[in-house]
Amino acid sequence: MTGLGRLTRFSLRRSRILIGAWTAVLTLFVYTSAAATDSLYKTPADQISAAESINTSSALVALYGPILDVTSLGELAMTKTTVTYAVLVMALAIALVRRHTRVEEESGRAELIGGLAVDPRAPLVSAVLVGALTSLLIAVLAAVADIAGGLPVAGSVWFAGSWLGVGLVGTGVGALCAQLSPNARTCGAVAAGVVAVLYAMRALGDTTSAHWLSWLSPFGWSTQLRAWSDPRGWVLLLDLLLAVALSAVALGLRARRDLGAGLFPERPGPAVGSPRLADALALNLKVHATSLVVWTVACAVLGALMAAIVPSIGSILDSAGTRDLMERIGGVGALQETLVAALVSVAAIIVSCFAASVVGHGGGEENDGRTEEVLATATERSTTFLAVALLALGGVAWLLVVTGAAMAVGAVGAAVSAGQVLAAALVQIPAVWVVAALALLALSWHSRWAVAGWGLIVAFFLVGPLAELLQLPGWVAGLSPYSHVPKVPADPVSVGPLLGLTAAAAVVVATAWWRYRERDIG
Amino acid sequence: MSERVIETSGLKKSFGPTQALDGLDLSVTEGEVHGFLGPNGAGKSTTIRILLGLIRKDAGEARLFGGDPWAEAASLHRRLAYVPGDVSLWPNLSGGEVIDMLLRMRDAPVDHPRRAEMLERFELDPTKKGRAYSKGNRQKVALVAALAAPADLLVLDEPTSGLDPLMEQVFAECVAEVRAEGTTILLSSHILSEVERLADRVTIIREGRVVETGSLDEMRHLHRSRVRAEVVGEVPDLSGVAGVHDLSADGSTVTLTVEPEGLPAVLTALTGAGVTALTSTPPTLEELFLDAYRRTDLQPQDSHTQDQGAAR
Repeated sequence: MTGLGRLTRFSLRRSRILIGAWTAVLTLFVYTSAAATDSLYKTPADQISAAESINTSSALVALYGPILDVTSLGELAMTKTTVTYAVLVMALAIALVRRHTRVEEESGRAELIGGLAVDPRAPLVSAVLVGALTSLLIAVLAAVADIAGGLPVAGSVWFAGSWLGVGLVGTGVGALCAQLSPNARTCGAVAAGVVAVLYAMRALGDTTSAHWLSWLSPFGWSTQLRAWSDPRGWVLLLDLLLAVALSAVALGLRARRDLGAGLFPERPGPAVGSPRLADALALNLKVHATSLVVWTVACAVLGALMAAIVPSIGSILDSAGTRDLMERIGGVGALQETLVAALVSVAAIIVSCFAASVVGHGGGEENDGRTEEVLATATERSTTFLAVALLALGGVAWLLVVTGAAMAVGAVGAAVSAGQVLAAALVQIPAVWVVAALALLALSWHSRWAVAGWGLIVAFFLVGPLAELLQLPGWVAGLSPYSHVPKVPADPVSVGPLLGLTAAAAVVVATAWWRYRERDIG
Repeated sequence: MSERVIETSGLKKSFGPTQALDGLDLSVTEGEVHGFLGPNGAGKSTTIRILLGLIRKDAGEARLFGGDPWAEAASLHRRLAYVPGDVSLWPNLSGGEVIDMLLRMRDAPVDHPRRAEMLERFELDPTKKGRAYSKGNRQKVALVAALAAPADLLVLDEPTSGLDPLMEQVFAECVAEVRAEGTTILLSSHILSEVERLADRVTIIREGRVVETGSLDEMRHLHRSRVRAEVVGEVPDLSGVAGVHDLSADGSTVTLTVEPEGLPAVLTALTGAGVTALTSTPPTLEELFLDAYRRTDLQPQDSHTQDQGAAR
């Protein structure tokens, strides 16, 4: 295929920082997980009871997947990585494929490539290759990290195979989603939705009696591979087959459409503007309208799914032994309260991504010159800043309200009250505001740094577990605003941390505002 | 004397190690079309961005309608419309939505009859979404938004890039019309014929400094004219005449360029030789432009002050 090799090398070079940073973080996490676990448990009995306690918590099973062999050190050590961190592998593959296909088409750069001696299929095939090669690189490094961390070689390799499989499926998902819309953001949102659905199906399958649901998701396959004991290698073939099928369909769709076009022809828009579309905030709302609707629906679904897990926790643990254990930690009610607190903390991280997306988009608007067009009208600097800030801060608050309300409705019949569930979601708002405020500060320093919000979310997400694994001092984990949120409803709503977080967010937003008014635009 | 709509003096701006503006003086008088010329990277867009309050000046003075373009940006912008050189549109907004939004944002009426007229003259379909427009059509969206309601000042940064010759013609007509209504226009361009046709006065800049400024007539007066003559007899020897350059004779035809002060002597000599045909062409803007650059190439250090002095 003419131009394939050159294009692939070019793409790898362009994405070397993204690939390098992401790969380094994941490898580091695998190594620290592997290295720390061995020293954590003194006797095999300790280790087995740790694994069993994970299995008895449906919150943890929903998050990480079950531990099929409680005697396996490797499976215990890789609990979080097998499914949860595999999401990051899949996300990287999707981001890479989207970046080198639809983003290129939307910006017009693909046309430049299309005019060269390059096969028309080469850009998509090359993007798939980039996704596959990156997945392979991550898998190899993960295997090396596991072995270096002291885990069995065979299990390490099979585990790495599960990451490779998830990465390949992500590559296929990215390739297919990139064909759908002329808008790269829409393609990205659809792909993110696919990942969320696959994850949710596995979570439901693992925690309810509908185990077949886990078998419909590549994340379920990663657990079912049983990498660490008695591996079923054929499960990896499922990943491979799905990836090849998705990529083949993507290539077929690509061949049937024009460069830059989506699957469906673009509908004409109105010839005149609405009277409401008259200021920067209305503009930003209009630009993000679709995204906001999709996020709202997604948060409602996420909240309902999370709530569905809550009442089941009692029945799953309804055996003589576990009931005894449960009574000691405070009964079904206490268990459900802990579960709700754990679930909303995950929702807070997911909702933070909306703020990162809005602020990152604000930076893009400026880089592309559209902010300049607005500021050349009678629009004040403060207005364009507030248009981004209000949407980011208001958006995350709204989405957490939606998530909390959906959970509260879904959790009817559980031992926790609807009010408690809603409160659990609402206390997350100040922490997410801090993250959004820091992203705004980055935008206000320079438009190019506006994407820093994404890095902050990953960093704050990882700093807790990493600090625990590396046994770093307590203040390191405390760097994450999420760590200061009271674990409502298990713990009471304590006003101090909430006021502190809100004040911190306010100071950062005010600094960002000041800086934005002082700096050069563009 | 009329109001100075734009006035900068000694304007300086650097981006890291790059000195984008190095003491730029620009003055645009009310009601004129002012051509703002310079090669890529000369500092045209930087000047415009300072005048629009998008970026801060490092040193010097900048006034827009007599006000401070940084501190009073939003209120000053009610009186102007801006067309950037590289128009970027919102992918999911139609052209019509963008035009009306930009008009509303500058507090201009959206129901002025010129809106429909401009759409028609520029042959623009306002229902297409932003991402579906070609470069030329994106440019037209910004032009229609700028021209669809009256403004005191139009700031146009290479406004015809991407337009076809027919549309350039439409653009030129529109500029002439709004000028007749009293609108001041700052027209940054490197299309010389366009500026030559439209501009009352011209400022030529290079490397962040003005190399030449004035009306085209004034500038022509200071530069060589091209003379071509046919004579009956021998071609006279003109090489000794002060101010004569590029002399070449072919049979009975002679061509040369001559500085204004040498022209009487050349004409006397040609008349004496029995001239049968004579054309004298004033320098085109292109020649002024190239001439201005050639001289700064030769004297990179102190050309600034010399040219400034010469132009006045």
